Amino acid sequence: MKDKVEQLVDYIMKKCLWQFHSRSWDRERQNKEILTKTMQILCDEPVEKETPTDKCYWVDAVCLADAFKSRYAWLAAMDKVEIKLLMQKLKDRMDYLTVTGSLNEELNDPHY
Amino acid sequence: MPYHEFECSKCIPERKKHAVIKGPGEDLTSALPLGYLNTIPGSISERGCAYCGAKHVIGTPMKDVIHMSHGPVGCTYDTWQTKRYISDNDNFQLKYTYATDMKEKHVIFGAEKLLKQNIIEAFKAFPNIKRMTLYQTCASALIGDDINAIAQEVMDEMPEVDIFVCNSPGFGGPSQSGGHHKINIAWINQKVGNVEPKITSDYVINYVGEYNIQGDQEVMIDYFKRMGIQVLSTFTGNGSYDDLRAMHRAHLNVLECARSAEYICNELRVRYGTPRLDIDGFGFGPLSDSLRKVGLFFGIEDRAQAIIDEETARWKPELDWYKERLQGKKVCLWPGGSKLWHWAHVIHDEMGVEVVSVYTKFGHQGDMEKGISRCEEGALAIDDPNELEGIEAMETLKPDIIFTGKRPGEVAKKLRVPYLNAHAYHNGPWKGYEGWVRFARDIYNAIYSPIHQLAFVDISKDEIATDTKFVTQKILSDGNVSEEVKSSNELREYTGKYDNLTTIREKTYPEYPLQKKLSVV
Repeated sequence: MKDKVEQLVDYIMKKCLWQFHSRSWDRERQNKEILTKTMQILCDEPVEKETPTDKCYWVDAVCLADAFKSRYAWLAAMDKVEIKLLMQKLKDRMDYLTVTGSLNEELNDPHY
Repeated sequence: MPYHEFECSKCIPERKKHAVIKGPGEDLTSALPLGYLNTIPGSISERGCAYCGAKHVIGTPMKDVIHMSHGPVGCTYDTWQTKRYISDNDNFQLKYTYATDMKEKHVIFGAEKLLKQNIIEAFKAFPNIKRMTLYQTCASALIGDDINAIAQEVMDEMPEVDIFVCNSPGFGGPSQSGGHHKINIAWINQKVGNVEPKITSDYVINYVGEYNIQGDQEVMIDYFKRMGIQVLSTFTGNGSYDDLRAMHRAHLNVLECARSAEYICNELRVRYGTPRLDIDGFGFGPLSDSLRKVGLFFGIEDRAQAIIDEETARWKPELDWYKERLQGKKVCLWPGGSKLWHWAHVIHDEMGVEVVSVYTKFGHQGDMEKGISRCEEGALAIDDPNELEGIEAMETLKPDIIFTGKRPGEVAKKLRVPYLNAHAYHNGPWKGYEGWVRFARDIYNAIYSPIHQLAFVDISKDEIATDTKFVTQKILSDGNVSEEVKSSNELREYTGKYDNLTTIREKTYPEYPLQKKLSVV
């Protein structure tokens, strides 16, 4: 599982930008919303996209889910419970790398 | 922490925390240099000032505006025409530069009267221009001139004009990035929401953090127009002052350079609820993903896909011709802020080059997080390097080429390392599918220039061969290329025009009549 999580982390860190908003609260929200929606897409669950804000998260989630499915064949062999566990571990790891373990000293500046 | 200490900077021990090497197994929690701090005394920085960051980088690309500096003439002269942000109104903003020409007597007696005279004189000299941006400098800020009050006086007397005041003197931040920040916040505070735009499409965006370097913005706007999207404003390349006052009416902020313009996107999200979508306009893969995302947001992804398919089919064989010849070439990616992460992964993926170092003069730690994540292991990441560190890095890493600004670029030439201008480009635009091929061509031309080969010969001591034959770029580049690639019928060199913008400017676009307001907006 750890190796699989690292593969997904590597993809996000190399190809995406959404995880690097400039403040910790934005990063937490981006990670939560986009990775939750990605999990829902991968598990064929309904996804909230009625507001512009949700739609914007959904757009990144659609592209991420497509990339995961096309690049990582092992994903197709996982059931929904396993995918949910994988995505939770992915979110925990992303939160660590971009928020709680981050060395970026600007993350907690209260102003934009 | 895998900090890297330069030999030349051992006498400035504080510099050690500004460079790291991304080693095996390192991640951002262990490999990240300090950033966006005041330059350490003793280190000769290559940064610009906060005034330059506000005026030169972000304010001046606005095309229908008199850009006036309140200060000594040198401030405006030194920020004039050094970056190629062209416009489709005959480059008005590049042709002229304006300063109040403060002198010592004004420092003693004040320069507000002088400022007012200059503002009125400039408007009279250009009667068709009714908009002005006014920039504070160190000199006028230190004597306390109230430029807001003078601007308001003029607007009261000349109601047909509008003036934006940017209070970002040179000392207002560690680098030009402080000025980016100040002008973002000043613009949304003073001007956004003051104009109601005409909405002509169901799909309306602001294109933010795009400066139309050699036409980049026009290339991207072409794609958006083909999708039936109304680009309400561009912040700020080829952008119009009044369009930018209407930013609050867009459905989506599409953000390109987050370093210089994420502040206004964040504030637009907080104040008006407009979401922020970060995109990459460079490289076939990232650009395709970006167009697809914008299409998905509006439910018109089929239109995006049609553009992706058409452009990829047209230009990919040309990109691949260069990729075959650039494989393994070592690059120092030393731009300003955002291009280190816009390019770090995609020049490796799509052009085959190896990024051996990234640096940023004014980027923040957030930019380094993106850049270090995207480059391969072993890369040396440097924050705010001084010239000696740049030289030491080039001598150690032995890059085949560097992408940087003109100041370190000229130094590189003296070390016989070819450079491309990452800020103003060589033969841009470099954005878009065709633009990416033009960038590859510029890299190829720089690395394989026969003239450049001569630079390796030191006529003061080397034996000059007299029996060598004339060589061409292709002789130099094709030495290690397989016969299969050389004889390929699919791959080809760039076949576009020298000027690829005139065609875009003359284009007509499909009509997508306004049908309804977006239900989600």
